[in-house]
Amino acid sequence: MKRVGIVLARRIAGGAMTLVAIVTVTWLMYWALQPAPGRFVYPGGIRVTPAELKDGAHRLGADRPKTTQYLDWWWHLLHGNFGHMWTGASLHDNVLTTVPIAPILYPALRETLSILIGGAILAVLISVPLGAISGRRVGSLADRLISVGALVGVCTHPIVTGKLLTQWFGIDLKWLPAGGYCSFVKHSIPPGLGLAPTSQPCGGPVDWTTHLILPWCTFAFLFLALYTRMIRASVAESIHEDYVPTARAKGAAERRVMARHVLPNASLRVLTMVGMDIGTALGVAVFVEFAYGFTGFARLSIDVMVGDPAADAIDLPMLLAVVTVIALIVVVGNLLVDLLYAVVDPRTAAADRAGRTKEIAAGVM
Amino acid sequence: MAAFFDPGTAPRDGPIEWSGDQGHPDVPSIVTAVTAVERDAPRVAPRAAWKLTLGRFLSDRAAVASLVAFASVLFASFAGGPIVSAIVGHNGFEQFPYATNINLDPSGVWSHVPTTQQVHLDQYGLILPPPKNAPRTLMVLGADGPLGRDELIRVLDGGKASIEVGVFAVLISALIAVPLGCLAGFYGGKVDALVSRLTEWVMAFPLILFLVFATVHLGPTLRPIGWGNHIPAGVPMVALLVGAFTSFYPLRLIRAQLLTLRNAEFVDASRMVGASGLRIIRRDLLPHLVPTLLVWGAVAVATDMLLEVGLSVIGVGVQSSTATWGTLLAQTTGTIYNPGFGAGVHHTTWHTVWPTLAILVSVISLNQLSESMRRAIEPWRR
Repeated sequence: MKRVGIVLARRIAGGAMTLVAIVTVTWLMYWALQPAPGRFVYPGGIRVTPAELKDGAHRLGADRPKTTQYLDWWWHLLHGNFGHMWTGASLHDNVLTTVPIAPILYPALRETLSILIGGAILAVLISVPLGAISGRRVGSLADRLISVGALVGVCTHPIVTGKLLTQWFGIDLKWLPAGGYCSFVKHSIPPGLGLAPTSQPCGGPVDWTTHLILPWCTFAFLFLALYTRMIRASVAESIHEDYVPTARAKGAAERRVMARHVLPNASLRVLTMVGMDIGTALGVAVFVEFAYGFTGFARLSIDVMVGDPAADAIDLPMLLAVVTVIALIVVVGNLLVDLLYAVVDPRTAAADRAGRTKEIAAGVM
Repeated sequence: MAAFFDPGTAPRDGPIEWSGDQGHPDVPSIVTAVTAVERDAPRVAPRAAWKLTLGRFLSDRAAVASLVAFASVLFASFAGGPIVSAIVGHNGFEQFPYATNINLDPSGVWSHVPTTQQVHLDQYGLILPPPKNAPRTLMVLGADGPLGRDELIRVLDGGKASIEVGVFAVLISALIAVPLGCLAGFYGGKVDALVSRLTEWVMAFPLILFLVFATVHLGPTLRPIGWGNHIPAGVPMVALLVGAFTSFYPLRLIRAQLLTLRNAEFVDASRMVGASGLRIIRRDLLPHLVPTLLVWGAVAVATDMLLEVGLSVIGVGVQSSTATWGTLLAQTTGTIYNPGFGAGVHHTTWHTVWPTLAILVSVISLNQLSESMRRAIEPWRR
């Protein structure tokens, strides 16, 4: 247990280092691009004068020494404060109003995490039995069908899956809502405001689930295909190990042989893969959100990356917030994977996972 | 044939001498048995390893099927457009106003549309039907949307651009990954630590965000680069950026392989006779990487084609007037920055299905090709 503690401490330190490195690189990249933050205060294209640009940068605090800005940002982050974004800044009566980031970031994050977590659970729940059935008897009819299905799943872009699912189940058959997100908590509008009963905003666990079923399926389709292939390979490999006939010789039922002897081995590879796929999953979420008209975190991050190319302006606070959150998701996700790894396989709890290379999988990102 | 099979001239051991103390001469020992087999067997020169691999590859049904499938995709993409154009008499750029109905919905599969370019309006500004005797032209898969271009030819032409993106991107990532991977894997130490840390950080991040950021900031400079219709403008940009940002995968593969190979005996032997590090990499190690790179390359072409689809759907890839499978899909989904452009209006589900089918055939065949190559190269790892 002590070793696990040491490994955990090392992982946390490594994760913190990754976070610092990514944020620092973002700052450096931003300075290297030399954008004009003043444009957020004075939107006006080529008509903006250099004096106005300078004034705008001053009002946003972007003309302070770079080390001050950098350290100041960290100081605020350590207090859980992402600051105010530059987009939407408006100057009235010589007073600059800016929009705080947190009230935009957190609801968006809720949407994306709903997709990611639900979709991941769905993918694992389906891919484990499929992979086990497929890998147990390589070459059987079931194996062939599953393998072909998995190949198709790996090769289909999520935007296509999303588009077709929303067209068939949302628009043509009308079984499920075709798009949009509903919050898990219902905020009902009190009667007496002149709203018809039917126009209550949707919300609550039931609406939340029905709106998320198609996005979950879209997200899961790709990953369940990837994981089915991997579990199949792993099961097919370990089914010939000595401990499987041993277990059978002891009289263990086939189900028990799979559940207790073969699949735990496969789960190690699944865990390694999950840790590496967190970033990829965020990339897939971009397309899932787009296909269903969500405005979640993935969409937000794409918006920030695109920025306003015509205005040559990058919303630095928002960019940093997005980058930090992604890095945090990846780092925390990997920590969880490491912890699970230690639970599943105490033997390799102390071993370094870094050496394992990602299998080339025809993923999307 | 004589080189491989020539019992007559094959050198033989001298005659076997029997001595009394070796036991009964009628019951030969195992040594004599083996020697006898060696003596009588025809001498066959060992076949080259690549021939064995090729033989294994060609005797695998799935391998040949995927090879044929991808070859036909290649043929259809590069020659299909011109051939169909020559048969039906129009190309994928021409717009036919009368290929759409009055609501701008495109005509369906196998429709003969009037080639009339001039739209006739009546006195109230409403669109009049085309003249009765107007010459007609065949659109096999119908029109592609409100603009009324030939969907089939655009899907075929789109394949050209998409495959070019995939292939160029793979070449670029190999160009980046091989030198860096050799440095990291062969020399190890600080270079290796730096490279692997960097790859870890970059790979943890969603690739699509990097690509979007890079295309937005480099797009104005790079997007116009192209070479007429052969390499449509925008293809080199997407290939360059996709290739650069996906080079981390082969980099890790090469590094991992060299980390084990650099301690191999043949490397020690090379070093012992005084070969420099560069020479060892070039002569002894690079040939070992070829199978890995082939297996990776086939999958990577497929992955990069899918990335191109993603970029087009976001709206930062190849310009939307150029047909690629990505832009064809983006027409129906609408791009993130122009959601109203298509988004199901003036398009049917078929307009999603055709490019998707094309992508599926090529990507699946590439995946299977890679898998079959791996099996042929490493038959011991089923």
